[in-house]
Amino acid sequence: MSSFSVKNVNQIFGTGTAQVQALHDVNFEAEPGTLSLIMGPSGSGKSTFLTIAGGLLTPTSGTVEVNGISYTDRSKKERDALRLDSIGFVLQAYHLLPYLTVADQFKLVDKVKPKENLSKAELDSVLDTLGIKKLLNKYPGELSGGQQQRVAIARALYPNPAIILADEPTAALDSPRVAIVGGLLKDLAVQHHKAVVVVTHDERLLDSADHLYEIRDGYLTKKKMVKP
Amino acid sequence: MFLALKEIKKEKVRSALIISMIVLIGYLIFMLTSLALGLAQQNTDAINSWDAKRITLNSNANVDMRQSFLTKKQVGNLSKQEALIGETSAVAKADSHKQLSAIFIGLNASQFIYQNLDVTAGRKVHDNHEVVVDTAFKTEGYKLGSTFKLNDDNRNYKIVGFTQNAKLNIAPVVYGQMSDWRTLRNITAGPIGSAVISQNANYNNDTSGAKTYSKQHVIDKLPGYQAQNMTFLMMIGFLMVISLIIIAVFLYILTLQKLPNYAVLRAQGVPSKMLVGATLSQSVLLVIGGLVVATALTVVTAWVIPSCVPIAFDVPALSGVGIGLIVMAMIGSLIPIKSVLNVDPVSVIGG
Repeated sequence: MSSFSVKNVNQIFGTGTAQVQALHDVNFEAEPGTLSLIMGPSGSGKSTFLTIAGGLLTPTSGTVEVNGISYTDRSKKERDALRLDSIGFVLQAYHLLPYLTVADQFKLVDKVKPKENLSKAELDSVLDTLGIKKLLNKYPGELSGGQQQRVAIARALYPNPAIILADEPTAALDSPRVAIVGGLLKDLAVQHHKAVVVVTHDERLLDSADHLYEIRDGYLTKKKMVKP
Repeated sequence: MFLALKEIKKEKVRSALIISMIVLIGYLIFMLTSLALGLAQQNTDAINSWDAKRITLNSNANVDMRQSFLTKKQVGNLSKQEALIGETSAVAKADSHKQLSAIFIGLNASQFIYQNLDVTAGRKVHDNHEVVVDTAFKTEGYKLGSTFKLNDDNRNYKIVGFTQNAKLNIAPVVYGQMSDWRTLRNITAGPIGSAVISQNANYNNDTSGAKTYSKQHVIDKLPGYQAQNMTFLMMIGFLMVISLIIIAVFLYILTLQKLPNYAVLRAQGVPSKMLVGATLSQSVLLVIGGLVVATALTVVTAWVIPSCVPIAFDVPALSGVGIGLIVMAMIGSLIPIKSVLNVDPVSVIGG
C-alpha cells in the first residue's frame, strides 16, 4: 500500500462560462523512501494539486488517501488533525513565526501535537544533518534565507509525518543551494523513510528525484526519469 | 498563551507601547472613578452616616432639604428611629481664616442623630452656639475652641468637637442645636425643622404639606449630584470604549502582520482555536500588564495626593473597573480574531 495516493481527482472552479477545470482525472501515488517531482509551467495546476494533496481543498471529485485514510470526506477539523499528524509542508515562503526561536518553533508543534513527534535524539540528528543545531536560540530574523529554509524543513519533519509536500522549495536559490536543498529532500525520503512530493518548475532538482511527473493544463502524466 | 508570551517577550518595544497606552487609559479611568466616588461620597457622607432610610420633607420643597420647612403638625410624633433636623447653607467667617461654605444642621439632643454622632475629637454640643464640625475645618486651620461667625449672626460659634466624613453636597457640615438653626434662618414661629430623618425603611408621613421619600431619592435630587455622576460615568464609559478601540486597532495591525505566518501554521494543521487563544491571551496579558502599572501609579497617587482633593480609592469599585477594561480588551480582540478565523491556508501554496 502506498503511503500517499490521489485517485481520479477532478477540480473545477467557478460556474457557467467562468468555469475552469484545473485538474483532470489526476492519479498519483508516492511510496515511503522516494522523492517524486511534479513539474509543470505556471498555471498548469501544480498549486491546485498541492492544495488538494495537502488536504487544504476538497476536490470536486476523487479521493486523497494518506496511509490508507481518505480525508476528502472529512470535516475541516478532522482534516486539520490529519494534516498535523501525517503531512509536513515545506513551503516556498518559509514563514517561520518571527517571535519564536528555532527551539520554540518545535515547542509550538509539541503544544498542538504532544505525542508521536520526533524524539529529542531524532530531532538532534535532524538538526545536525541540516546544520542548524547551533541555531536553536536564534530568531528567524537572525538567520539567513538558507538557514530559515532548513529550519522550515526541520519543522515540517518534526511531527514525524508520513509524507512531505514541498512547494517550490528552491525558488530564488542559486544552483549550489538547489543541490543542497535537493540533497536534503532526498535525505528526508531515504533516511527518514518519508514519501516526499516536490512541486516545482526547477529542473535542477531532477538529480535528486526518484519519480518524475509532468502536469500540463491540469493533466498529470508520469515521465520516464532521464537523469542528465 | 505560549504564543502570546513569546511574542510579548520578543516584541518588547511594541508591547511596551501598547501597555503604556493601557497604563494611561487605566490610570485615567482609575483616577476618574476615584474622583467620582470621592465627590459622590462628599455629597452624601452626612446622610449615609445617619443610616437614614426615609426622609420626610415639605412637599413643596422640590425634595431639597435646604428649602424644606416642617411645622410641628407636619412633623408629628417621632419614635426613637426618627430625628428632626434643621438644615441651612452657611458661611463660616473668622479672622485669619478664609470664608468657608458649610451646611449647618441643627439637632435635638434627645434624638438618634445627635446621640449617634461620632465625635473624633472634643465633645458633643451642649449649649447654644457650640458646634461640632467636619474635619475639613481642621484642614482650614480651625482647632478645638476656635470660634467663627455664621452668615449674619454676629455671635461667635465655638468649635467643641470634630467629626469625620460629615459632608453634604461637598460642603462640610456644622452640627449645632436646633435653636441656632432657627436663629440662622430667622425663624421665630411656625416651622420647627427642615426634615425628619428615619432609620425605619417603612416610615411614612403623609401629613398635609409633607411628603416622605427614600434616602436615595433625596440623594439623587441633591443639586448637581446626578449631573456630576452622569458626567463621570460618561467620561469613564468613553474611556472604556477608547481602550476597546486601541486594543482592537493595535491587535488588528499586529494580527494582519502575522496572517501569512498563521496561514502556514493552519496549512500545517495547527487548529484555529490555538491562534484565536493566542490573540485573546495576548490582549488580556497586555491589558493586565497595563492595569498592574496603572494600579501602582494610582496607589502612589493616593499616597501623595492632598487630602483636600475629593477622592476615594475604593478597591471593589476599582477592581470592577479593571475587570471592565479586561472585558473591553477581550471584545476589542474580536475583530483580529475574525481575521485569524478567516485565514486561508491555501494562500500560502504557490508562493
